[in-house]
Amino acid sequence: MPTALPLQGVRVANFGWVWAGPVVGQTLGFLGAEVYKIESRARIDLTRMLPPFGEGVRDPDRSLSNHACWAGNGSVTLNLKKPEGQALARQLIATCDVVVENFGPGVMESLHLGYEDLRAVKPDVIMFSMPAAGLDGPLKDVRTYGLSLTSMTGLDSVTGYRGGPPVPVENAFSDPYNGIMGAFAILVALTYRDRTGTGQHVDYSQQEAVMQMVGPAFMDYAINGRIAGPIGNCHPLGVAAPHGVFPCAGEDRWISIAVLSEEEWQGLVAAMENPAWAQAPDFASPPARVRNIDGLHNRVAAWTRGFDDRDLARLLQHHGVAAAPVSNVADLLHDPHFRARGTFVEVQHPLGFRETIYGAYVKTSRTEVSVRTGPRIGQDNDFVFKELLGIPEERYRRLVQEQVIY
Amino acid sequence: MSDGALQGTTVIELGHMVSAPYCAKLFADYGADVIKVEPPDGDIARRWGPFPGDQPHPEKSGLFFFLNTNKRGVTLDVTRTTGRDALLQLVRRADVLIENHRPREMREWGLDYASLSQANPDLVMISITPYGQTGPYSEWNGYDLNAFHLSAAGHRYCGRPGEPPLEHGTFAADFYGAVTAAAWGLAAVYGRRRAGGGQHVDVCCAEAIAATFVGGQNIGGYAQDGVFERRTGIGMPLGAPATILPCKDGHVWMLALEPGQWNGLARVMGNPEWTQLEMFQDMYVRAQNRDAIYPLIEQWTMEHGKWEIMEQCQANGCPVTAVFTVAEAAEHPHLRERGYIVDLEHSELGRIRDIGAPFKLPASPGGPRRPAPLLGEHNAEVYGTLLGLSTEDLARLRRDGVV
Repeated sequence: MPTALPLQGVRVANFGWVWAGPVVGQTLGFLGAEVYKIESRARIDLTRMLPPFGEGVRDPDRSLSNHACWAGNGSVTLNLKKPEGQALARQLIATCDVVVENFGPGVMESLHLGYEDLRAVKPDVIMFSMPAAGLDGPLKDVRTYGLSLTSMTGLDSVTGYRGGPPVPVENAFSDPYNGIMGAFAILVALTYRDRTGTGQHVDYSQQEAVMQMVGPAFMDYAINGRIAGPIGNCHPLGVAAPHGVFPCAGEDRWISIAVLSEEEWQGLVAAMENPAWAQAPDFASPPARVRNIDGLHNRVAAWTRGFDDRDLARLLQHHGVAAAPVSNVADLLHDPHFRARGTFVEVQHPLGFRETIYGAYVKTSRTEVSVRTGPRIGQDNDFVFKELLGIPEERYRRLVQEQVIY
Repeated sequence: MSDGALQGTTVIELGHMVSAPYCAKLFADYGADVIKVEPPDGDIARRWGPFPGDQPHPEKSGLFFFLNTNKRGVTLDVTRTTGRDALLQLVRRADVLIENHRPREMREWGLDYASLSQANPDLVMISITPYGQTGPYSEWNGYDLNAFHLSAAGHRYCGRPGEPPLEHGTFAADFYGAVTAAAWGLAAVYGRRRAGGGQHVDVCCAEAIAATFVGGQNIGGYAQDGVFERRTGIGMPLGAPATILPCKDGHVWMLALEPGQWNGLARVMGNPEWTQLEMFQDMYVRAQNRDAIYPLIEQWTMEHGKWEIMEQCQANGCPVTAVFTVAEAAEHPHLRERGYIVDLEHSELGRIRDIGAPFKLPASPGGPRRPAPLLGEHNAEVYGTLLGLSTEDLARLRRDGVV
């Protein structure tokens, strides 16, 4: 029985940098695609310099966060400021199915790597561009960071404590989200290409992709003209109570509890050993509980406060209540659930140190996913330039010396 | 059903609420024929709203509408033998089944992967649940909120110290799981021949976020050095300015880290003297002096509107953006010009605005074209034409309450 990975035979040139673009390549790489990140020592990607480093040695090949986020991409180095570097990039692209980039609109054109340039060397190429706000429109040149991109979607405006100001999310949730959604977009385009023989230039606006998550609040605006504000941990449609995060014993320990059905409410009441307040008219029906959600949450919090979060989750689950511990970063490594699922794996980096990265975060029953370490800069240069592109040794040495392959 | 890229792919959705329906919507938006199978009393999302004038009506939920465009809808009680049999007949004709029920329920209904793959070995079954199909919590009850906070995303990145960790104000874990499932699931379909047949794709929403968002940035450092960080309530604690600040008419995402960005911001503010102080010359030093710098910047932002601030900062090389309200996002000329917001006609809701395609494929456009199905709208079409049931058979199933 064939056991090839589903994307074996798909080759990707990934010009993506920082986080979202590399995750596109990683996602396809997990599933068998051959992915080469094209980068350069002339302008080292800033995420390669993010601490902490493997064994504490500051080096662009040892950033631990970079490795986890980039694992699965290969790496070749090309100085794209030099015309010969651009020509080699086009030569590589001629052998590829997909080209990924997350620069601003126009940057690839200025490097003579625009869609028309690529089509000239590979007529059915799929070019995947993922600028912040798309390839055209009045905001196309807007400058954002991954963590502030969400401000242009409405998502930040509904994130925060209820009734208070927006609270910023302190890292770019939208980057890996867009990286994974980007892989889906490419697979849609590959499906189309295989059926019709036609490639295309995918216009992936990160703003538009992320704004999909605002669908629930958008519809309330579209239908009722209502403009949502921050909702805390409440149900986005306001149909459930209790629905929140409650304190537990210990430092910064919490539990999430979501009660959607009458059965779950009865389970919670039973777990709390039937306190008298739970029978009050204020909490007698779902609409009453939603109306009096603050008072309800205060009473539930007074009860949860004394419990260990894990013990309490088990107790509530025993009563059929949707409750789970609120993890901190350390818990991710120790939690029996993530351990059982093999979410994180320790691997040996070719440079000799051990590092912990995430493995197959989706489980596939037939496919054994390919898990690799973070790429060293230029680790695939020999293979790509000499074998794939057939560049003779002498020219290869010259290109390295002249810092074209660099 | 359409000329989209995924034309020819048949998807059965046995989903409710958000995750599985959104995943199936992504397939439907790009041309797959998606048949949504609802229980006789409908997907729970039909009861969640938002409803016009807050008047509940099973055909008028805005959330249900948004999540189910372009699909055909049938009703079926899969907990009964005749219902299960009809579902298996649909599965035999399908490429993909997308579901988000608890694993035990699928087993009890005889619809677990072992049973479905027997009916159709080429089937790609996509399961999207808060905790996944395996592991000690797999049979736990859970919703979006539980999955999100199990991932550590809130504890690490959102909320003020001493106060509860926060989720984004939406079904963030459900959406994240749905998108992850769409990518991995479509890869399994695309490479089905290479991989040797169908398979079960098990997505745990908590795990997808724990790995790719929180773990990616934090787990290597924690595993090596044994230290970890937690939320601060500030956008970026190590550099400044990098946070959300109030302004005259709302909020802005204030960002000026690199020297060029900081100089640009100073210019826009009219180069006040304090911007030249030694303590504000470097993003890291500014962050150490955040108690001094944020009130100074805020004094200026409070005198200006968000659009003016965004426009001038952007023009001066500083990546400040307005915090768009949902209305401002919905009405923004940029999104209008790009055709992101679309109008659809629905028999109960009338003309309704909807969010368009998540990405643009010029050669094979996607996005919502047909409204979400009414409850059981395509029963006759699907059971009659596709499965070849006679009018009498269908009437009998209706009488028995299976359809």
